[in-house]
Amino acid sequence: MEEKQLVRLAREGSPEAFEELVRKYQPKVFSMALSFTRNREAADDLAQEVFLKAYLALPRFHGKSEFGTWLYRISVNHIKDYLRKKGRAKEVSLEDVHEISFSDKEQTEKAERDREIESRRTLVQTFVGSLPEKYRIIVTLRDIQGLPYEEISRILKLSPGTVDSRLHRARRMLRVKLAPYLVAEGGTYELS
Amino acid sequence: MNCRKAEKWLLMSLDARLEGRGADLLAKHLEACPACRKAEAEYRSMLSLLRDGRDAEPLPRFWERLQPRLREETEIVPLLFWERWSLRAIPVFLALVVMIGGFLFLTPQAGELSQSAVLLLEDRDPLSETQALFEADKPETRTMMLMFASLDEKTTLRRPTP
Repeated sequence: MEEKQLVRLAREGSPEAFEELVRKYQPKVFSMALSFTRNREAADDLAQEVFLKAYLALPRFHGKSEFGTWLYRISVNHIKDYLRKKGRAKEVSLEDVHEISFSDKEQTEKAERDREIESRRTLVQTFVGSLPEKYRIIVTLRDIQGLPYEEISRILKLSPGTVDSRLHRARRMLRVKLAPYLVAEGGTYELS
Repeated sequence: MNCRKAEKWLLMSLDARLEGRGADLLAKHLEACPACRKAEAEYRSMLSLLRDGRDAEPLPRFWERLQPRLREETEIVPLLFWERWSLRAIPVFLALVVMIGGFLFLTPQAGELSQSAVLLLEDRDPLSETQALFEADKPETRTMMLMFASLDEKTTLRRPTP
């Protein structure tokens, strides 16, 4: 079923239609919340609250924008509120970063690989989380969520030029932070 | 091309937003500049790590946990709606009370009716008194009767001018 039709049915009160929309967008909303909170439980809670808000606001959604854009806007605003209430996130400790970036030699190969992937994710999320809010949002939407520039511009209500310049600055800041953990290995750069 | 511009173009090319002459110039610069080649490798690695975190799976049974919360909220919302409206209704109700009170207070009561109205209400002819005045023989008597009648009405409108 087409998304517009699902949205229309959900607005009319169909739980099945809303369920389908939730299933479609839950990984995106969750991963966005995760990149801000760096905590799976908190991210899960935030994602649930975002869908609750969206459900209650659905009668006011008139389809002027895409449903996804509208949902992202709710997510960004809700996460911002959460972070504001929670106060400034914990500063990144470089010792923590070392600890999580090394794999445990005693683990089996597969477990080690999984752990390494998770460690990398955590490392990057930690550094993204340490960026100022306006840069963090833009990196999350573009580089983690993979949204197109035009959509980011609509979600954040910023001009495409501002999105471009903020993203450029954010990536430079992030590269400076991550550079010590990136070493050359056979022509490509991987985390040590 | 300087390295600052090359970095900008490099990020555009990693987003697949650089084509044609720009892409050629960047390729030439990267060939000649080891620092920018290092930056390119670092950006590639960084972006691939960032994209690794895309669409992370939420905790299990997401929808099953969300569903009861949705039901709960939809039950609370009408209550909140009524609560909000009942608070707004208080000043409206007070304004209505004041308006009705004012209307009842300002409406002329039976005691304030004119003499003619009282006579009409009592089913008597209000002209009979006037008739008596005009039937008086002497003009002085007529004037005196008119004066006394106007004093009875407590109004200056009907007072005769001398």
